[in-house]
Amino acid sequence: MSATLVARPIALGPSLGRSTLVLGVGLALLLVAAAAAVALGTSGVGPDQALAIIVHRVTGIGPITWPASAETIVLELRLPRVVAAMVVGAGLACAGTVFQAVLRNPLADPYIIGTAAGASLGAVAALILPLATVGWLGIGAVQAFAFAGGLGAVLVVYAVARQRGGTPVVTLLLAGYAVSSLLAAGVAFLLFASGDRLAAVVSWLLGSLAGASWPRLAIAGPLIVVSFTLILLRWRRLNALLLGEAAAAHLGIDVEREKRILTGLAALLTSAGVAISGTIGFVGLVVPHLLRLAFGPDHRLLLPASMVYGALLLLVADLGARLAGGIPVGIVTALIGAPFFLWLLRRAVRPNA
Amino acid sequence: MAHFRHPLVAYLVLLLAVTACAPAGESPSADAASRAPTDPPATPSPTHEAAYPLELTDAAGRSVTIEAEPERIVSLAPSNTEIVCALDACDRLVGVTDFDDYPPEVADVTDVVIRTSVDVELVVDAEPDLVLAAGNELTPSTVIEQLDELGLTVVVLYPESLDEVYADIEFVAAALDATDAAEALVSEMETRVEAVETAVADADRPLTLYEVFYSEGTTYTAGESSFLASLLEIAGAEPVIGDAQGVIDAEALVEADPELILLGGASYDQSLADPEAALETVAERPGWGELAAVQSGDVVPYLDDIVTTRPGPRIVDGLEALARAIHPDLFE
Repeated sequence: MSATLVARPIALGPSLGRSTLVLGVGLALLLVAAAAAVALGTSGVGPDQALAIIVHRVTGIGPITWPASAETIVLELRLPRVVAAMVVGAGLACAGTVFQAVLRNPLADPYIIGTAAGASLGAVAALILPLATVGWLGIGAVQAFAFAGGLGAVLVVYAVARQRGGTPVVTLLLAGYAVSSLLAAGVAFLLFASGDRLAAVVSWLLGSLAGASWPRLAIAGPLIVVSFTLILLRWRRLNALLLGEAAAAHLGIDVEREKRILTGLAALLTSAGVAISGTIGFVGLVVPHLLRLAFGPDHRLLLPASMVYGALLLLVADLGARLAGGIPVGIVTALIGAPFFLWLLRRAVRPNA
Repeated sequence: MAHFRHPLVAYLVLLLAVTACAPAGESPSADAASRAPTDPPATPSPTHEAAYPLELTDAAGRSVTIEAEPERIVSLAPSNTEIVCALDACDRLVGVTDFDDYPPEVADVTDVVIRTSVDVELVVDAEPDLVLAAGNELTPSTVIEQLDELGLTVVVLYPESLDEVYADIEFVAAALDATDAAEALVSEMETRVEAVETAVADADRPLTLYEVFYSEGTTYTAGESSFLASLLEIAGAEPVIGDAQGVIDAEALVEADPELILLGGASYDQSLADPEAALETVAERPGWGELAAVQSGDVVPYLDDIVTTRPGPRIVDGLEALARAIHPDLFE
């Protein structure tokens, strides 16, 4: 099961030069994609105008030659959406990397121990009960409930899975599955009862960045950045956990404590991301695998790379979804990522690879 | 986790497709009077040239201020488009939906709603000074919120009865300063409705199932106290009623045993448009073979679903089409 995860001894991780190259190329691509995503859209506001608007906003230079609507489109619609795509994509991929390492399970994704089901139940409840108009610091009830639901579900799963002497990974996975099923039943019931709000509920469950706005990012954004930093600082411990819990304990790591901290941080990342965009699948499962297949399992590179390439995948997918007439972004992430992933998988399973 | 979402979502999308065309459920403010302009309907304000800024309460209960006479209008629903055009303001439309087909000149207006999803960027790009949205989540409330936050003037329309259609026409007319045109239009509609009522007054009222959609044993029909149910009653039928969403299961349908079945889906589905083929198709559905309407062959492909379910000025065309389908003998 974890053969690919521990294929190479951790001492033989990528060199500093190679890491710089991988991250540098990723950041350059990300910059290009971000520029394209701000410059392109369904309206007639093109690259030159978008550039002029941003330059004018930042420096105050240049005459205003565009209608107010163009400024709204670039600064209030495209820009927050681009930032949201990057933050959520990076968050999901990073959380996926952490869960795959902590749970030592190749099928682990950011939603594996209850976040998606919990966040969905929270969001759907907020959409159906007459709460959606209750605003709090510019954050809608839907976002607040999704966040609380996602985090709450993980807390419940962890509490249930905990036994004397630790929290076995298998118990954690099974408890996650059971709690998710229970919450999913709640979601299904609310859907059944949702009546005329069904359209709103479905569009939330499909996941979309169309509702991205600065106020939404103002709270979830910093939360995600702080979680990133704390996770990045633990790369050595994640590497040790890959060897198995017993080996990690021999290396002097308090395994239970690390599992708790890492799971908590990854759940925080996921819940904040889900609050911005709904449940977007695939990014958090596949990006870590892609990078591991390509560059090996060393978390010193894997963690920052998963953030950069997760952001890139979701940004490009969302641009594609937007230009293709607003199809759900999850479809596009899978369309872009799955064939590439399958190709890498075929290459990686060659004998002696 | 990932795998619980997908079958659920597929199921939802289907449900959604159905409810989008199903008749009305309940709405927060069904009271027509509450969203008419502050002046009583059909009584133009004596100083209506100086009526701006105009303060209105819309179908979603939101208070909206219209600063000046709107010159650039975006319509997010075909019924709204038809109301604007019926008030001779078609040339002010700068954005419509890709489902808009009437009047024909709206084909030249930019589509800002594509496959039922509102492209907010295109709405903003159209620089509207008035956006006419639809209620009951036909325009998602999240989109309405977003448009509000972007500083656009959004008015939600959601009529659930003929009176509310009249009120909405007067409402839009007040916003557009076109109350005279509205008065003429509404009085013409009222006259035609009265003509239908008179024609069917003494006729038998057949128990009628209006089929909006059928899937796997479940029929979607006129919902409880829905617009469609009220139209069927005015057209001289006793409607078979579903729940609030218009859903009726096979057992309840067999129990109701309609004498007449109108297949609204025939407006979109060629395979239901031929009467003989349609009768054969529905007879094969579980439990349907013994229905009185199927036994007597009173299964009618109904081709006017669009005007019957689109709550704009042409709703009277829909009413007349229903009356003709229910009482062919009374309308030669």
